[in-house]
Amino acid sequence: MEYLAGPLSALIGELEKLPTIGPKTAARLAFYILSAPAEEAQALCRAILDVKDKVRFCSRCFSLTEDDPCAICRDPRRDGSKLCVVAEAKDVYAIERTASFRGRYHVLGGLISPMEGVGVDKLHIAELVQRVPAEGIQEVIVATNPNAEGESTALYVARILAPLAVTVTRLAYGLPIGGELDYADEVTLSRALEGRRPLS
Amino acid sequence: MRVTSLDLANFRNYAALHFEPPGGVCVLLGANAQGKSNLLEALSLLATGKSFRAAREADLVAEGTPLARIAARVHRAGGDVTAGCFITRVGEGARKRFVRNGRTVAYAHFLGTLAAVTFLPSDLHVVGGPPALRRRFLNAALAQCDRTYYRHHAAYTKVILQKNALLKSAAPDEKLLATYNAQLADSGSQIIGARAAYVRKLAAAAREVHARWVGPQPELGVRYLPNPTLPDGDESPGTVFAQLEKALAASASAEMLRRSALVGPHRDDMALELGGVALERYGSQGQQRTALLALKAAEYQLLAQAAGEPPLLLLDDVLSELDAQRRHAFMLSIEDCEQVFVTATDAPETLPRTATTVYEIRAGTVRRAPAAAAS
Repeated sequence: MEYLAGPLSALIGELEKLPTIGPKTAARLAFYILSAPAEEAQALCRAILDVKDKVRFCSRCFSLTEDDPCAICRDPRRDGSKLCVVAEAKDVYAIERTASFRGRYHVLGGLISPMEGVGVDKLHIAELVQRVPAEGIQEVIVATNPNAEGESTALYVARILAPLAVTVTRLAYGLPIGGELDYADEVTLSRALEGRRPLS
Repeated sequence: MRVTSLDLANFRNYAALHFEPPGGVCVLLGANAQGKSNLLEALSLLATGKSFRAAREADLVAEGTPLARIAARVHRAGGDVTAGCFITRVGEGARKRFVRNGRTVAYAHFLGTLAAVTFLPSDLHVVGGPPALRRRFLNAALAQCDRTYYRHHAAYTKVILQKNALLKSAAPDEKLLATYNAQLADSGSQIIGARAAYVRKLAAAAREVHARWVGPQPELGVRYLPNPTLPDGDESPGTVFAQLEKALAASASAEMLRRSALVGPHRDDMALELGGVALERYGSQGQQRTALLALKAAEYQLLAQAAGEPPLLLLDDVLSELDAQRRHAFMLSIEDCEQVFVTATDAPETLPRTATTVYEIRAGTVRRAPAAAAS
């Protein structure tokens, strides 16, 4: 890109490294930033640097936070008897968006996969085992992905919590809202049948 | 069911092919390396989702091109469907995308769009080769009959890989091992149950076909050899699950020692016998081949039952090693199939007269043979 000013092609190059951004989008974004007021560009820079400097893991739930412990762990209106176990911090935001869960979270930091070198000791499982009796948790809701690693991790968590006086539940499997029955695969459909509920 | 049109683009040596095969027996004639087997491979790939020979799926894409495409229109009892597969080069490997009726679908949902039974020269290794080949035969046959089987098998395979990785790690976590074993007992017992039921039906059908071809003696025997062995062949789901669970627990220390998963249907086998003697030690190549053809004919019957209509029959170079009598019996037996593709280097002298069309394959082109060659 010799025909572009050096800094501009450098910016395009950096933007292109981002996920889902191709060369055309990168160029469009770069030209937009160039034409935007200086304050806007500075705000973007600051936001990027801040996210690297200030965001860290909560020492209790291992979610992402600026202050430790995180806002959810500090919030006294949260139901301390329910704990939702998720694989990644982004899953916390997925469940928070539903606004249907008022308990607290525990982020494992991944899913068990010996093939990829992720053993039990690489995840925050020991911390979970400590939290349950220490915080008087009554119910642990395992919300890992419904794939092979998610399933194994959920069953492992249930097994390791079995000696403690705590109920361990798993998110239900079912049909996507707004979907079509005949497009659901057999396993999803048979799990949805197993998990059916009375209408009256 | 039958394929009414097949389109290939950049698939192996086919740059662009549009082929409208007729029903009945379709003989594909040609010298070696002209593309006879590639045509069968494309059809088989639409049925099973896998190539029957490529070790590297990138090899399916013609050299110097990024993307191969297979598309077929399938006439089925319930109406026509279209089935397609796009194979894209990705680095050293390849990615496949399946399309059914114009919509991209997951592999598990695509299975069953087209059903086919394939016979290749290399299938002879099912007789004397390692057990893995007989398991592959069972998996390919069962997955087409029963999509749930495919899912249980995929789930089982993933957990086996994780369990083996765990056993090879420095200090395997015992609770995690127990978790994996519980999952394996679950999906594994489903696999064993399905294989046991399938092989029982397969054995009965194969015995009958074999007797029709060569007479009642020696009798062809097919037996499922599950791992673990089931008491008195009791195949009820509860028994299979309990048996597998028990075997997994019993072999735990041996597995720790050998650092590998030793028990379960990934170690299954199938015994093939002629007159009570192991087929590989019994007879000539011709006898082994006949026995295997009987097995394939049985697979065809069972797939027809499961699909509710006859599947395609894809035969790659099967006639060359049969003697004239067996070849004749065999050609007669496929005459009534809805659609059969047979490759051969020379026109067989015992072509069924009715509903047979001969095509010449030359350097990636398909041409209807002149009438003289067909008679």
